[in-house]
Amino acid sequence: MECKKVAALVLAGAMAVTTMAGCGSAGGSAKYPSKDISVIIPKAAGGGTDTAARGLMQYMKENLDGANFVATNKPDGGGVTGMVETSAAKADGYTLGMVTVELAMFPWQDKCQVTPEDYAAICAPIAAPAALIVPADAPYDSVDDFAAYCKENPGTVQVGNSGMGAIWHVAAVSFEKEFGVELKHIPYPNGSADIAAALTGGHIDATIADPSSYKSQVDAGEMKILGVMSEERSSIYPDVPTFKELGHDLVIRAWASLVAPKDTPEEILTQLRDAAKTTCESDEFKEYFEKQGIDPQCIIGDDCQKMMEDDYAMYEDLLKDIETE
Amino acid sequence: MSDILVALGNVFTIGNLAGLIFGTGAGILIGAMPGLSVNMGIALLFPLTFAFQGVGGILMLLGIYCGAIYGGSISAILLKTPGTPASVATTLDGYPMATKLKQPGRALGLSTFGSTFGGIFSAICLIIFSPMLASVALKFSKPEYFALAVFGLSIITSVSSGSILKGLLGGFIGLFIATIGIDNLSGSVRFAFGSTYLLGGISFVPILIGLFAFSQVLQSVEDCYKEKYVKTDVKLTRVFPTWEDLKRVFVTLLRSSIIGTFIGCVPGTGGDIASFVSYDQAKRWSKYKDNFGNGEPEGIVAPEAGNNSVSGGAMIPMLTLGIPGDGATAIMLGALMVQGMQPGPLLFKEQASSVYAIFIGLLLANAVMGLMGFSLIRVFVKVVNIPKEILIPVIFTLTFVGAYAYNNSMNDVFVMVFCGFLGYFMNKTEFSMSAIVIGIILGALAETNFRGALTMSDGNFSIFLTHPICAVFLALAAISLLSPVLGPVVKKLLGKDKAKQETGV
Repeated sequence: MECKKVAALVLAGAMAVTTMAGCGSAGGSAKYPSKDISVIIPKAAGGGTDTAARGLMQYMKENLDGANFVATNKPDGGGVTGMVETSAAKADGYTLGMVTVELAMFPWQDKCQVTPEDYAAICAPIAAPAALIVPADAPYDSVDDFAAYCKENPGTVQVGNSGMGAIWHVAAVSFEKEFGVELKHIPYPNGSADIAAALTGGHIDATIADPSSYKSQVDAGEMKILGVMSEERSSIYPDVPTFKELGHDLVIRAWASLVAPKDTPEEILTQLRDAAKTTCESDEFKEYFEKQGIDPQCIIGDDCQKMMEDDYAMYEDLLKDIETE
Repeated sequence: MSDILVALGNVFTIGNLAGLIFGTGAGILIGAMPGLSVNMGIALLFPLTFAFQGVGGILMLLGIYCGAIYGGSISAILLKTPGTPASVATTLDGYPMATKLKQPGRALGLSTFGSTFGGIFSAICLIIFSPMLASVALKFSKPEYFALAVFGLSIITSVSSGSILKGLLGGFIGLFIATIGIDNLSGSVRFAFGSTYLLGGISFVPILIGLFAFSQVLQSVEDCYKEKYVKTDVKLTRVFPTWEDLKRVFVTLLRSSIIGTFIGCVPGTGGDIASFVSYDQAKRWSKYKDNFGNGEPEGIVAPEAGNNSVSGGAMIPMLTLGIPGDGATAIMLGALMVQGMQPGPLLFKEQASSVYAIFIGLLLANAVMGLMGFSLIRVFVKVVNIPKEILIPVIFTLTFVGAYAYNNSMNDVFVMVFCGFLGYFMNKTEFSMSAIVIGIILGALAETNFRGALTMSDGNFSIFLTHPICAVFLALAAISLLSPVLGPVVKKLLGKDKAKQETGV
């Protein structure tokens, strides 16, 4: 009897010690990450943002002590719900999220209250530029030819976009402003697949959109890209000039960034940014993106924050103009 | 020829076949679970394809794709709970056959046969006619899409079994629900009342789960309360449809498969529309029109052949043009690109053996789906023998899980419960829930393309008449809408003519 009691006591003591030891290693020291990191993706599974986010997580965990990322898709409210949830999450580095270019646009359209300033940027693996895409047999071969054609035919050149007030429509409006022309905007709310079909079927004349969605048609010689609205030439289409080279200061890009809530501790952010940097620079990661037709980007930390806030400022003017149209 | 041999060699390896069989099985499960959609299944298993070399991963995705469309019919027939939006139409006759006629085996056999036939038919169309069908699909511009949607909406009159007025009312409710949220054309917000959830519109799947599954649970509880539980023990003598059944449904099978393949290859339209159009056409041409809604074999085969034949159709624009025909093929497009294949006009020239491998894979996926289906029918049917006291709580729990899992949103669960009560009372008052579903499915398609077409024509309505395909569809829609009203009148007139002729002679 006595013997049993002693044994139980010893056992209980041993359990207490191990439990406390467990607590110590989890909470006490500042080792990050010590548990799963959840990532909120504000778009549906299978879309561009989702693909980019999951690819980033897959390769980034190797550079973050094998941390386990758990992705949750929250596409409610056009992505607003998911983005708001990230900004309101506990800033301990265990809840991260993706935010998209809509974050720079929605506040000006009264669709959400959060802005880029509510987040701390980690990295943007994707920043697709707007490109001017036309059928291969179209009579114009350069941006200026196309602009001249639009001038001759005011209000009749049909340009497909993914919905009024969405990013590619805004890009087309800024094109109109820059070149002093008037286009006819045709919305395709389902996005690039429908626009590609309409462009191949000859129902519209052009589209201003992410060129990677039209790679197979461009490669097959059915469509051509006249120019891209980015700072530098795209690595997928190195022969296509940027609008900047042609003397038009138009930079419009659809980015998706991995972010943390604003008050996340600086050392955790540094750790995440370093891991993201190593990931984005690795060849496997680039190959993964390029295979899907996405031009991989490596915009890290402060650069990423600046891009988000620059765009946020830029859209104030652009969207105001569209509103008053 | 050598390309075909290479392709055969690529497909028939143990790893690839295992991937295909696993995919098909997983697909059937995903499809049978309300709340897990085809697209979600493919997106979730997409990362697994990286583990395969070459076509193996694609074969797995093809298996999921075909299996999930088929799987939706199992729960539709046995529980009146469509596993996917594409199998809503299957509940109309499948559930009555399984319960009223007490022939769940026959119903599942017919749906399995229909699905397999439709899938293989469309795969053959893909192999033989893809360039031709792709060029027809490209003729569809905004006016044509609008007309197709209106034609789809006109089906409400034939799907709503009771009062046509109630059917149309349901359709309008559906159309209204489809307008909630950010208007994708203008970017303005409609009927959101400042709610972030409503901004993105009410998700369709929770509505579906509520209207069908949750309301069915309430109904079953009521039935249990009233009647003493009778132990049912359905024994199956056969799983394969009888020769008489096959003869009866063969023309319907063929017609539905053609409809499904075509609707599949028009980008942006999918299995949900195809199954309703097939059902409607089956009813229109059938000798047993009055039996529809009471467990008519043609009413089961039509939607199932229709929705499964979408698979081959949707692959047509994806492979030939690089344009996905629906959400599932959009994800598959990404998977193909990861494997170094660039779908589009060059694919057939540069990677013929990969194209053949996909063809063979699709045929095989449908065959495996059929084999699995037929061999598992005996297992599925056991669901009917489960006492209701056990089955109801299980389904009840699943409705919540499914509604939440769809978007990880509690709001979706509230919508599901609300629609569940709505559906329960609609059942009591003999409102057609299919009409609401059709309204929601087609509302956005009709509206965006109507307004888009008018933008193209600067507000000129003649655009709907000058486009021939559009005009034909609008005319068909008018006929199908007016036929219940005008049908008897025309019959009377014809009858009079006959009578006159007879007296004249």
